[in-house]
Amino acid sequence: MNSGILTLALLDGVSYAGMLFIVSLGLTFIFGVTNILNVAHGSLYACGGYATASIGLWLMGNDGGIINSIFSIIAGTLLVGVIVGLILEYLLRFFEKKPPILQLIITFAFFMILEDVQRLIWGTSPYFVSTIVGEMGNVEVLGVFYTNYQLIVLPGAAVIIYFILNWFLKHSLLGKKIVAVTHNKEVAVGMGVDAKKIKKITFIIGGLLGAFGGALASPTTSMVPGISADIIVLSFAVVATAGLGQVTGALIAALIIGIFRSLSIYLYPELEVVIPYVIMGTVLLFKPQGLFTVEKARRI
Amino acid sequence: MLKLQSVCSDVAGINVLRNVTGEVHAGSLTAVIGRNGAGKTTLLRTIMGAVEIKHGTIHVDGELINHLKAYERSHIGIGWAPEERVIFPTMSVKENMMFPCQIVGHNKGQVQDRIDMVLDVVPQLKAMLDRSGAALSGGQGKMVALGRALMVGTRIVLLDEPFQGLSPALAREYGESLSNLRNSQPDIAIIVTESNAALLHGIADQTFNIERGEITN
Repeated sequence: MNSGILTLALLDGVSYAGMLFIVSLGLTFIFGVTNILNVAHGSLYACGGYATASIGLWLMGNDGGIINSIFSIIAGTLLVGVIVGLILEYLLRFFEKKPPILQLIITFAFFMILEDVQRLIWGTSPYFVSTIVGEMGNVEVLGVFYTNYQLIVLPGAAVIIYFILNWFLKHSLLGKKIVAVTHNKEVAVGMGVDAKKIKKITFIIGGLLGAFGGALASPTTSMVPGISADIIVLSFAVVATAGLGQVTGALIAALIIGIFRSLSIYLYPELEVVIPYVIMGTVLLFKPQGLFTVEKARRI
Repeated sequence: MLKLQSVCSDVAGINVLRNVTGEVHAGSLTAVIGRNGAGKTTLLRTIMGAVEIKHGTIHVDGELINHLKAYERSHIGIGWAPEERVIFPTMSVKENMMFPCQIVGHNKGQVQDRIDMVLDVVPQLKAMLDRSGAALSGGQGKMVALGRALMVGTRIVLLDEPFQGLSPALAREYGESLSNLRNSQPDIAIIVTESNAALLHGIADQTFNIERGEITN
């Protein structure tokens, strides 16, 4: 393998990992707080991507400025993240006291419904608006030309979100309430935390993260039917590798899976699909709770 | 202060509390004594609103609180230390203690006053304030849980089996803290559940014996 391909694979891997981390973070965040494994999370990614591409096309055709592109990313994220996140939270309210498996099935049903909704709204043709990628230009990295968007925006957004979320959870009162509900809902409620409100906020934050991942990815990849399923299984691999509910773990796992997936695309393309699951399976074989276990109070 | 009248409640469809009636006064310590499964924890969880009351009434200072949601009860001055203590590991001991006050909206001055009061009652906490909640032993965790309950428990403090798992020396220290609390805070009613009555001997002002969800004395 020559150094150019290796550089390209690493750059692709880091860029993809940035997007994957943002989506996985939403998934693990919702699970961490509510104990619900949200299968419909992939639909948030897809709808976020579709909505961003649609808004982008509406604003500028396939030709416009960076500001318009940024606006379409923000608008697509907010529109889908808040609305779909709240609808899902509302639906799950009816099954709050039912067994967790039923809640999982509800999110799966919602995923199936959203698949059809996507076909209904956007059809089956690919949606792709890459204006921002072209406008931001390219840069040479170790002899390889690479887009500034993928080099800076995707990993940069992931790092910024990682730090903002960590700060939010550790230092803001709302973040501390979310952490308290995550650790023990009943005790948090006993202290005065409105757990229902926290659950709603969690679904909005998780929804925004999923939709933001899709919105960021939309200029670099075509939005096509079935993309929800592709991203949700990859996100599951990241979350399971990291350990459910782990923020830092999700960042590292996304990086590992992103880079190895990318290397396999260049070296052994036929292994691209299985690589994330090989990594996940290997980790779970030795650490069934994932690489990063939850910090727990001593029991002695 | 706290008045329970014919309180009944179910857990998982099974009737656990049956016509529990009793009154607890400010400045007193009430022991609720019973075996495992007698309904002690359910009684406290019902007062906290974590278990829905099926029948009967709960009054605090003459005000009916049946309709209050569980998360609203700390706002009226009820503090609760659960049996499992549940100290948040991502926060320091001081943050753990301040947290419920921040939720109910106390300002910095009020929080500091409350911390000073708690440290007077439970002086063992002074040395632990900056320690991570993840680095506490079981006994230390019980002390922190007591301190945290006191932060918002301006009227009623509910302590669920606080002596469980404590060494004799720590149990003695904990008992001293309870005596300090009762003597120094005449506005607070304290309810402590325990399966071993001897541990609260000389501390409790009144005792409710609970058996199969009923008060038997």
